[in-house]
Amino acid sequence: MNKIVAMAAKDIHILFRDKLGFFFTVFFPLMMAIFFGAMFAGLSRGPANIPIALVDQDRTAASERFIERLGQASGLAVEEIPREEALEQVRRGRTAVLVTLTPGFGAALDNPFVATPEVEMTVDPTQFAVAGMVRGVLLEAAGAELQDLMSDPARLGAANSQNSLFFESLPPSDARDQMLTFLDLSPRVSSLIDEMGLGAATGGNQGFFGPPLEIEQTEVQAERPGPTNSYATSFAQAMLWTLIGGSVSFSMSIAIERSRGTLMRLLVAPVTARHLLAAKGLACLGATLFTSSALITLGITVFDVRPTSYPLLALALLCGSICFCGIMMALSVIGGTEQAAAGIGWGLSLPLSMLGGGMVPLFLMPEWMQTLGNISPMKWTLMAYEGAIWRGFTLNEMLLPCAVLVAIGVLAFTLGARNLRWDTG
Amino acid sequence: MLVFDHVSKSFGDLRAVDDLSFEVEAGEVFGLLGPNGAGKTTAINMAVGLLEPDEGVVRFTDEAFDRDPRDAENRRSLGLAPQSIALYEQIGGADNLRFFGRLHGLRGSDLEERVVACLDFADLTDVGKKVVSKYSGGMKRRLNLAVAIIHDPELVLLDEPTVGVDPQSRNAIFERVEQLREGGKQVVYTTHYMEEAQRLCDRVAIIDRGRLMALDTVPALIEAHGGPGNLVVRTGDSESRHETTDPLGTLAELQARQAVDHFQYLPPDLEAVFLNLTGRALRD
Ligand SMILES: Nc1ncnc2c1ncn2[C@@H]1O[C@H](COP(=O)(O)OP(=O)(O)O)[C@@H](O)[C@H]1O
Ligand SMILES: [Mg+2]
Repeated sequence: MNKIVAMAAKDIHILFRDKLGFFFTVFFPLMMAIFFGAMFAGLSRGPANIPIALVDQDRTAASERFIERLGQASGLAVEEIPREEALEQVRRGRTAVLVTLTPGFGAALDNPFVATPEVEMTVDPTQFAVAGMVRGVLLEAAGAELQDLMSDPARLGAANSQNSLFFESLPPSDARDQMLTFLDLSPRVSSLIDEMGLGAATGGNQGFFGPPLEIEQTEVQAERPGPTNSYATSFAQAMLWTLIGGSVSFSMSIAIERSRGTLMRLLVAPVTARHLLAAKGLACLGATLFTSSALITLGITVFDVRPTSYPLLALALLCGSICFCGIMMALSVIGGTEQAAAGIGWGLSLPLSMLGGGMVPLFLMPEWMQTLGNISPMKWTLMAYEGAIWRGFTLNEMLLPCAVLVAIGVLAFTLGARNLRWDTG
Repeated sequence: MLVFDHVSKSFGDLRAVDDLSFEVEAGEVFGLLGPNGAGKTTAINMAVGLLEPDEGVVRFTDEAFDRDPRDAENRRSLGLAPQSIALYEQIGGADNLRFFGRLHGLRGSDLEERVVACLDFADLTDVGKKVVSKYSGGMKRRLNLAVAIIHDPELVLLDEPTVGVDPQSRNAIFERVEQLREGGKQVVYTTHYMEEAQRLCDRVAIIDRGRLMALDTVPALIEAHGGPGNLVVRTGDSESRHETTDPLGTLAELQARQAVDHFQYLPPDLEAVFLNLTGRALRD
């Protein structure tokens, strides 16, 4: 056991001394984490047309008018779909915001004296910036509605006579009479203001009525919350890249031991092939566990990534490393020389990573691509990492990706170890 | 004692080692002398168990034991300095020694003592912490040798330890080998330089195309296969060469016939032995 540890320690020592190995296992993944994290953080602050889902439960002429107004508003792409479907979309992160016009919305819009129109906004908490923007557009549209109403004496009159009828039906009192007098006068408010030449100064009549729209916001902390911030995704990807870099470096290290002759020295020393394989596996496991843990620690402490479960994160880290150490052993068999090991390693890793969400986050990929990604160990690794970092997996949900990872790892390691060339030339 | 008993090894059609037998005795430097491709490295690889002979056996024997080269116990008692330098270039010289020492089961203060001793042996004490990739060729060669003896083995196998080394470092390596002999080690030393074999080895096995051509001490080999020496005489601007087994007699004869300004006697050497045995020069 001591010898295995000695060999593993030597390999790790060499990995961190080797500038290229260090670059691919530490520096490059970290750069990726920060680059993509910053990039997606920037993106979620407002691309051109933000897609929002809209559900009209009111179904009045007024609500339709409001929807049309939203559609014309700049910056939104409104899609009217059934509520269940819309909720699902928000849950899956396809739509940032769902706006629901509840029954009574149209009536309040046409008659803001009795009630302020209300909408429900269901938002993905990670998309708070987008939500803020949508809120602004909604308020603006409601404000414009109100202004239209105030500047149209016919509509205002209709609303007032409706309200007068209601108040007249109440038992007589001073307050009731004053209210009726106010309603009589109110259609003339805007013309009176105009007569005084104050139109521009007051900017319309909204001031009388407080905010033109009440927005009730709920967050979908659903079973699949989005990442708490864009670094949550990018650090998961970076951790994947450190596994890839580590496994390629270690698979090269076996070929390098062969070409530099140190494999001969090892084989002449009193250690068995089993020791050697165990040491390589252990070194790869130790190094990748260390670098991936260091990355996520950095993500947590500096970039405010908040894992949903630390025990599951530890499990995911372990299983990811096991998988890629197995892949390392298989790679070192396929690639006999260090150049071949590196070439094949990167040649296989890049497309599989792309497919597995290592470059573009999985949740931004079309469904068919996500399905195809199942053949990629990178996808399962990301699923495990993301499951613990922001998808809020339960232990049960975590078992599938972890089992797949361990199975791939054990299979690849066994295949590799069996077929490894022990000759020293 | 390392014993080769009618050992053969082929690579495809090529018989790299052909019916080779010899025994290396305690306290001697045993030379394997032969041109490139003679089969020296193949023989060494069989001695350390990296290759298995096709025919014959390689054993390590003593009054107390009779072991296969692959025996773990046996591996502890032999050290190999491979022909091509085999070191971890990214880490320091001392770290290389420390690592291989640990592989041989050394620990703690025993290990550190050996590391210090081996650095001193290789004259690398001052640069022990420096990474090996920054070493000169000669320094790497010396470290390559030091790593072979980190665990203080009984038998040290040095496969062409002076290849690609400047004359000064070469001398340093000769001194190390003599030091090993004085320490009572068995040394197997392969080379294609006859001067090295002549200077260092107690007994030399001359091999060519995998076959053992002769095996004896250097004087005995020269006696048996060296043939006549050469007497070179110069008179004015003209120089002549005369093969002779009796240089004094020949010189007297020549002086009787002509004036001799200078003379030089070149005794037969291993080069001549090899030429006489194979009909070819040792060096290409
Ligand atoms: N692994 C191998 N495969 C095929 N041929 C080999 C192999 N190793 C050595 N040889 C051949 O065997 C012969 C002896 O090689 P080697 O033992 O290295 O000679 P030396 O060390 O004396 O220079 C050479 O002709 C060499 O080309
Ligand atoms: Mg050789």
